[in-house]
Amino acid sequence: METLLLIFSPLSILLILLLGVVVLLKDPKNRVHLSFFGICLSLSTWLLTNFIVDTTNNLEVAFFFSKLAIMGPVFAAPISYYFSLIFPLPLRKFTRKEFFVIILGIMFFLILLPTRFNIEKVWTEEWGVSFRPGPLYYFLFFYLIIYFFFIFLNISKAFRTGNKKEKTQLQYLLMGFSFALLIGIATNLILPLLGYNKLVKIGPPLSVVFFVGFTSYTIVTKQLFGINVILTQIVVGIMAIILFIQTLLSEGPYWRILNLTALLFFLFFSWLLIRYTFLEIKRREEAEKLSQAKSEFLSIASHQLRTPLTVIKGYLSMLLEGGYGQVEGQIKRVLENVYLANERLIRLVNDFLKASRIETGKIDLNLEKTNLETLIENVVSELEIKAKEKNLYLIFEKPKEPIPEILADKEKIREVLVNLIDNGIRYTKSGGIRVGFEQEKKFIRIFVQDTGEGLEKKDLEKLFESFSRGSAGEKLFVEGAGLGLYIAKKIVELHKGKIWAESEGKGKGSTFYVELPLR
Amino acid sequence: MKKKILIVEDEKMLAEMYKNKLENEGFGVLLAFDAAEALELAKKEKPDMILLDILLPGEKNGLFFLKNQKQISEIAQIPVIAFSNYDDPKTKKEALEMGAKDYLIKADYTPREIVEKIKIYLKY
Repeated sequence: METLLLIFSPLSILLILLLGVVVLLKDPKNRVHLSFFGICLSLSTWLLTNFIVDTTNNLEVAFFFSKLAIMGPVFAAPISYYFSLIFPLPLRKFTRKEFFVIILGIMFFLILLPTRFNIEKVWTEEWGVSFRPGPLYYFLFFYLIIYFFFIFLNISKAFRTGNKKEKTQLQYLLMGFSFALLIGIATNLILPLLGYNKLVKIGPPLSVVFFVGFTSYTIVTKQLFGINVILTQIVVGIMAIILFIQTLLSEGPYWRILNLTALLFFLFFSWLLIRYTFLEIKRREEAEKLSQAKSEFLSIASHQLRTPLTVIKGYLSMLLEGGYGQVEGQIKRVLENVYLANERLIRLVNDFLKASRIETGKIDLNLEKTNLETLIENVVSELEIKAKEKNLYLIFEKPKEPIPEILADKEKIREVLVNLIDNGIRYTKSGGIRVGFEQEKKFIRIFVQDTGEGLEKKDLEKLFESFSRGSAGEKLFVEGAGLGLYIAKKIVELHKGKIWAESEGKGKGSTFYVELPLR
Repeated sequence: MKKKILIVEDEKMLAEMYKNKLENEGFGVLLAFDAAEALELAKKEKPDMILLDILLPGEKNGLFFLKNQKQISEIAQIPVIAFSNYDDPKTKKEALEMGAKDYLIKADYTPREIVEKIKIYLKY
């Protein structure tokens, strides 16, 4: 075991430093890479001081380095906190207040480092150097727990707001952290409790290697494998190592041959499994490339369609504004109809593009603090004219108490609201539309209620599917491609919300609800 | 004094239409049909604002113009409105990060509405 420690500890220190340097060199000015290097430097310092304490025969040297060992985690914790603020996405700015608190914490440990508050005494035992920690040593655990708590909060926040790739990166981070924690607990708590202390010293370097390995991989790799792929490879690797060690330690030729055979079979089937995994990854990469190509094609195709439509829109609007002389009577009516028809075409192109992007998963949310009350006010004032033209009322029932701001993509939620209120206006002959809020504990519910044609039960079920329209819509209104509610549903679902409609039947109006989580 | 607008647009019909409208509104108008020409014209004429199409001929597109504009001190501060029918979120994000004041989809605006946007950005 001592030999294992003598080999493994320095190797792990070198590996951690190497990973830190490799990540730093990938992008030296990037704060993520810089802070990761800082973490590697702090952790390798901690491991080095521990290694010196474990291997020295000189008590004074052991005393000195056991005191110094505390500085590794003291620096690693705040750098990790900063790292969690900026990776994989910047959550917010690092404040001056935070900086001063961190500096204060570090200064506190630095001042007490050489004192007996840190390490009271060291002495040699049969198995090596033992030490009596002072109160500072226990305070360090409290210090680390506080930092881990805030790091965990940051990671959870990033997971809630991140996109698919960022979520995968966080899964890797958490996986590395979990492995490190499991190994640490196993070697430093469970095994010693069972009376097996020999692996205690191997715990820290092994756990740090796992953590640093996972984290560096997730920073530098542009394309991350799914976490299940990496787990498969790790399990295979661990099993292979165990079987190999078992083969080496076998007693007698019979067991050696049996274990060797088992190892060879295992390696063969593992190779097949890993080969299949990589083929599967390649297939997915090609599917992703195809999806990317489709998305680019959609953007280019819609660009090409929009160009002539823009020319028509532009010249027609200039004609109607009198830019080429006064236009009146029948000519004006004809031009207005052509303009409206052209607007329909433009909306169709926009809707097809949005629906296609939704289908291929290419919609990203731009989340920001959103005041829904202000948003609805703006939409209502925008559509008021349209409602008045049909002699319909459009009322926004303001909430009695202010509605809390939520994290949402303002533009997309605005689009949903415009769609619902616009639909209300289109499908209503008399009466009008009311818009309001209902606030619950964990979410906000917006309702858009109209006195229109209403919806039959069979319509309610299919309303949010693409190219669908209620039976009232088929009679009253045949513009549009039936994509509006489908797009609205997808947008609301991307916000982890719900959208649905209720109606008591034909001629009894309908109410559309949008529920968004409070966050 | 008349405000000068540089329109970078490879579609002749659109270029002519916006030129027409802007001149009727009292602006001076310069036209460029690709990014390289636009950079040269901007350096020479120092327009008050640039209306920049994104999909331009060759490899040097609107993003190329934005990147290079920032490296030429005499034209780096001229406000640019990216103005395109290329509705790609990634391109839009890049353009805004590179300093475009806005990214407008042409088909969503009439020429009059574009003039109003220009006036807002020129602080009329």
